[in-house]
Amino acid sequence: MSSERLVYIVDDDDSVRRSAAFMLRHAGFKVEPVESGVAFLKMAKGAERGCVLLDVRMPDMDGLQVQQQMIKDGIDMPVVILTGHGDIEIAVQAMRAGAVNFLEKPYEKEALIAAMEEAFVRLADSNLKEMAASEAKVRLACLTGREQDVLDGLLAGLPNKTIAYDLGISPRTVEIYRANMMEKLRVRSLADALRIGFAAERGERHERPANS
Amino acid sequence: MRETIVHGTDRVWHPDAILSAFPNCVMIVDRNLQPINCSAVGLEIFGVASLADLPEGAPVTCVAPDHRRLFENRMDCAFESSAVDPFDVPLQLPDGRLIYAECNIAGLASPKGEIDAVMVTFQDVTALRNTEGKLDQANSILRSILTTIPDAMVVIDEAGRISSFSSTAEKMFGYEQEEIIGQNVKVLMPEPYRAAHDGYIERYLRTEEKRIIGIGRTVVGCRKDGTTFPLQLEVGEAKIGDERYFTGFIIDLTEKKQTEAELQSLQQDLAHASRLSAVGTLASSLAHEINQPLTAIANYLSAARDMMDGDLAENREFFLEALQESVSESLRAGTIVRRLREFVSRGEINRRKLSISQVLEDATVLGMIGAQERGVKFSIDIAPDTDYVFADRVQMQQVMVNLMRNGIEAMADSAEKKLHIGVQSLDDERLEISVSDSGSGIDQELGDRIFDPFASTKGTGMGLGLSICRTIIEAHGGTIGVEPNPDGGTIFRITLEKAEREQNDEQ
Repeated sequence: MSSERLVYIVDDDDSVRRSAAFMLRHAGFKVEPVESGVAFLKMAKGAERGCVLLDVRMPDMDGLQVQQQMIKDGIDMPVVILTGHGDIEIAVQAMRAGAVNFLEKPYEKEALIAAMEEAFVRLADSNLKEMAASEAKVRLACLTGREQDVLDGLLAGLPNKTIAYDLGISPRTVEIYRANMMEKLRVRSLADALRIGFAAERGERHERPANS
Repeated sequence: MRETIVHGTDRVWHPDAILSAFPNCVMIVDRNLQPINCSAVGLEIFGVASLADLPEGAPVTCVAPDHRRLFENRMDCAFESSAVDPFDVPLQLPDGRLIYAECNIAGLASPKGEIDAVMVTFQDVTALRNTEGKLDQANSILRSILTTIPDAMVVIDEAGRISSFSSTAEKMFGYEQEEIIGQNVKVLMPEPYRAAHDGYIERYLRTEEKRIIGIGRTVVGCRKDGTTFPLQLEVGEAKIGDERYFTGFIIDLTEKKQTEAELQSLQQDLAHASRLSAVGTLASSLAHEINQPLTAIANYLSAARDMMDGDLAENREFFLEALQESVSESLRAGTIVRRLREFVSRGEINRRKLSISQVLEDATVLGMIGAQERGVKFSIDIAPDTDYVFADRVQMQQVMVNLMRNGIEAMADSAEKKLHIGVQSLDDERLEISVSDSGSGIDQELGDRIFDPFASTKGTGMGLGLSICRTIIEAHGGTIGVEPNPDGGTIFRITLEKAEREQNDEQ
């Protein structure tokens, strides 16, 4: 891969930022470490376009706020969100705001590289930024009612346990529906499933579920 | 007027002369209980000039009504020539005074041997009886004190012999009063005090230097069965004439010590519970805090692993860097875990000499968790002449962590978030730790009551945090207070005694 691929690593934690920079450099990326969301927003306008590895937990401005501000400022760079620990709700919000993917710390190198690769594909072809609503709907059409219910729950940012409670089934059953749903949608990660779900929602002018 | 009794002449009956010489009231009373003669002193007592002026029906009518029957009985006995023992009667005098008199009645026989009159003497014993009464009263009061006083009371003379021993003392030591009175008080104490005690008294009598008198102290007592127990002893001194007596009041501390131990253990439980709950509220921040170094380690190591495929010699430097960084990140995570484990352990309280900077450093690991991402600016300033305190490490950490978390929480909605810890000397003996925040401040109405249990103003938690801080600090002989920060927010101030650099670690 060319060394032209620039990654902005936005994280307030020194050791995470430095280590991620170390790793991505040695994986052939060009790296620009940034210490805060505020600093990134300042520099991003008119800066070289790249992809953003964005930490959620930061002082002053968290990752989600940075994402919102990027949309307002028209900073068109694909974002991969780093969440602290299984914070599904935050991940869902980030995906809704157009993040390419999310990763939970600590992540595997392969997962990060794959997410970055995907982000650069998106960067290269802005038309691919969003899956067409029509295509998403076609894919969702093959889901059973229960599978659709589980996906809806995930789109609302709910954990398995809550979805199980709402549907009156066991968490174990939710996991089974979830696995079936992912297989039918031909996706490997929850992030991909969410992206299809959001694309279909956009097509339907769906009301955004309230975040609890 | 003196009559000369000429030797050899017939004795002449001179009742008036005899009677006038009597130092007290003497009446001669006939069978009709009428006085036929009375001594001069008697007339004086009754306040009359002559026999004729005595009150109607005297002497019987002069005896207080409830004693008249007794008096008349005794008179009858005397007329029937029985011996009558002296007895006390109250006399009502014409001027209204009431006196107590010891009364003697003796029959007077005529030459024929018939008793046709009796001699009644009244001796005023009012003052005497009063004194006796007071003594009796004092005695009975003392007796009742000795039986009812809840503390044991032991009185000894200057030879150390026990002269009184209260009922509670009997119960406490297991001796009967009869067997212990007169024994040396040292039997109530175990060795080595027993052997030394006579010396203590001697030393005091010689030097007058009070080592326990009026001071009181906790000592050990020894029961009859040889078992020992802690007691609080208060000693007083009484001088009666040239004799000295020492009174000892004794409180059995067995139960108190037990209560104290229970209380301490309860406080320990509470402090521990409070630490657990503090950690509970930290849980999500903690997970995050430990995830960070783990993330860094995974980054470095996965990069290093993939370098193995390349030219090792060329990558050597990066390789080393990755490993070195991984090591320090592992240690960083380890530090958090170790501090945490210490913090939630419920160890015995163990006070020792601690470096104040070390305590604060340890506390900061947990206290500042998650503070950075909330945008809190932290500063610390330790004056160089504040080296050591004598304290329990975990408890001191607990206090500091608690104050730091409170400060961070109070600044949640503040534009500027500054947390500052300062340590300075107050004087040679004491140092002060201050924790200041730029938060919302504390309601002045509340004042020091925020240290009371259940006084939470946060709407969350039980409001035990600060009360436990106070308990801990006061148990360390320090103080904790709160005041508004002139720059906005709150300042908590803790004073603690400094520990000598060479102070032993032993307690």
